[in-house]
Amino acid sequence: MQNPYIPYPVEVIKIVTEVDTKDIKTFRLAFVNKEDEEKFKYTPGQFAELCVYGKGESPIGIASSPTQKGYVEFTVQKAGVVTTALHEMEEGTRMGIRGPLGNSWPIEYLEGKNVVVVGGGFAFTTLRSLINYMIYEDNRKRFGKITVVYGARNPGLLIYKDELKAWAERGDIEMNVTVDKGDATWTGREGFVPTVCKEVAPSPENAVTVICGPPIMIRFTLPVFFDLGFSKENIITSLEMRMKCGIGKCGRCNVGSKYVCKDGPVFTFAELDKLTRDF
Amino acid sequence: MEKRLIKKEALAGIAKRIAEDVTVYAPVRVEENVLFKVLEKGEEPLFTYQNSKNAPKNFFFPRSEVMLRYTRTPKGVEFTAEELFARDGVLMGARPCDARSFVLLDMLFDQEKYKDPYYIEKRNRTTVVSLACAKPPYRECFCTSVGGHPVDDKGADVLITDIGDVFLVEFVTPKGEKLLKYFGDQKADAASEEKKAAVAAAAEAALTWKIATHEVKEKLDRNFNSPFWDGIHKKCLACGTCTFLCPTCHCFDISDEMKYDDGRRLRNWDSCMFPLFTKETSGHNPRPTQKERWRQRVMHKFSYYPENFGAIACVGCGRCVQSCPVNIDIRKIVAEAMELA
Ligand SMILES: Cc1cc2nc3c(=O)[nH]c(=O)nc-3n(C[C@H](O)[C@H](O)[C@H](O)COP(=O)(O)OP(=O)(O)OC[C@H]3O[C@@H](n4cnc5c(N)ncnc54)[C@H](O)[C@@H]3O)c2cc1C
Ligand code: SF4
Ligand code: SF4
Ligand code: FES
Repeated sequence: MQNPYIPYPVEVIKIVTEVDTKDIKTFRLAFVNKEDEEKFKYTPGQFAELCVYGKGESPIGIASSPTQKGYVEFTVQKAGVVTTALHEMEEGTRMGIRGPLGNSWPIEYLEGKNVVVVGGGFAFTTLRSLINYMIYEDNRKRFGKITVVYGARNPGLLIYKDELKAWAERGDIEMNVTVDKGDATWTGREGFVPTVCKEVAPSPENAVTVICGPPIMIRFTLPVFFDLGFSKENIITSLEMRMKCGIGKCGRCNVGSKYVCKDGPVFTFAELDKLTRDF
Repeated sequence: MEKRLIKKEALAGIAKRIAEDVTVYAPVRVEENVLFKVLEKGEEPLFTYQNSKNAPKNFFFPRSEVMLRYTRTPKGVEFTAEELFARDGVLMGARPCDARSFVLLDMLFDQEKYKDPYYIEKRNRTTVVSLACAKPPYRECFCTSVGGHPVDDKGADVLITDIGDVFLVEFVTPKGEKLLKYFGDQKADAASEEKKAAVAAAAEAALTWKIATHEVKEKLDRNFNSPFWDGIHKKCLACGTCTFLCPTCHCFDISDEMKYDDGRRLRNWDSCMFPLFTKETSGHNPRPTQKERWRQRVMHKFSYYPENFGAIACVGCGRCVQSCPVNIDIRKIVAEAMELA
């Protein structure tokens, strides 16, 4: 019996500080035992428990795409005990990861459809995984039009800046990067995510919206998509709840009868409507 | 199925004999309580008890257990060993409600996709010998309302029933049959079966609390936002006694402990009654007051478990009712919920 509580050993091979405030970093982790990489076969939208022995574990969405070989990446905001310990780590340090956990973005369902990706703040991590997956070589033709709306409070808080630029230079993906308020050097768009979504006005025809961000952004963006004609079945999000086990045992992360760790974190708004839930 | 008859006085001796070969968990008097514990050499088990204060789930799912160990190396702190503590054992004298709780816990810990090796190892290596409730011990018992019975063998490998002058011993599973050799060779006759049926009927009739739970899930789901929930939690102290004593509660916390260069990861029982249970680092708590926590406890047992596993996650042992310091009674809450539209 494989023990699902034992992390795979990994080594931190690269750390990138993403934002001006320095509290969001991307960690690139390589498996110490090559065969573990094969076992850690994941799909965009899944997450893992990052393990810092002596401190604990934190559930973090997988920010890399399975098309990137040799490592996995996680973008972590410094928050409490474990994430602070992570932020203090240096390249070369060993730690553990447990997973992949949870369901994923519904890749098969998205195939052949136009995909609208909406992200806010640093909750863009598993969306980045999805985008990199969809635009990877031959994968690209399996999906229709890809429209991205991504926003942050100010330019310094945008994550994956180099990639945002590279994506914008490709002709096969429509990028709409926005900030609530620009600065002296910002030449891009200004405006809140819901407003930009309204301006971009993606067609609901054969389309699915995938959205992640702070609750307030989601609250104001949802009506925009309903007005555009998107149904609840075709708006998909990823939930967060406090977690421990990650495999539906410790009883902590349920929304109604579903465990976010095991049955989620990805749900359609139609599914969420059916669940009795505390907020 | 193999069946034997034994003298009532013989049971304690049998337990002691089994304890010479494998670990035996049995009820023992400890000060004013009856508790399940590992039978020490020569220690006298108690089989004339009502029910134990603590649920025997402890032997498969300890209150605190080490999951793994790690140590500091020049490259960082690294994993050293998995810790699956399991040994062959016999759990003697579990009441049928408690034995049935293992069936419910199996549904959670032993699923198709994610198996919990800590629980499963201990469970597989333990034989459960149940002692039927010829006389339901407490006013608070309500096993028949939630799918159980005082003379039920679910979750038991061996079921012992007091049929008057002797004990009828039924070896329900092959695992149970391995204990045959300890129980002598007096085979049970047809008359003892009849006596057992009479005992079972009398026991069922003796249960004073009966609540309807038919379609309780649908009622609860419909009333999730009902004012019904506004009152029930008011007295609750969030002490967690109810969940700690409950044979089916399984929530746990995982935490790390490090001393000098060595550390271990532990899991400890946790409780949905505690305010911190769902509190996130940001300070946000999806269950901010005791109201949402109590609703979760009732929903989990009477709606979510039935939905996920097809069974109510309460065996009607009455422990939470007996021991709640402010007398909150889950039976009454469910009975009142059944009155809702
Ligand atoms: C599916 C999922 C994906 C996530 N993805 C990311 C991500 O990509 N990047 C990122 O920075 N953060 C992410 N989070 C949030 C992140 O898990 C928490 O910020 C983190 O666990 C805080 O841990 P800590 O030890 O630093 O804080 P402490 O407060 O010291 O942690 C206590 C423990 O509580 C739990 N916990 C506390 N808050 C949360 C929370 N919001 N969600 C889940 N568990 C929590 C953890 O088990 C943690 O070990 C995600 C959460 C979930 C559920
Ligand atoms: S909820 Fe109460 S009565 Fe039901 S099994 Fe748990 S402790 Fe026993
Ligand atoms: S035992 Fe009673 S007071 Fe304590 S948490 Fe349970 S319901 Fe609340
Ligand atoms: S994190 Fe343990 S049940 Fe979801």
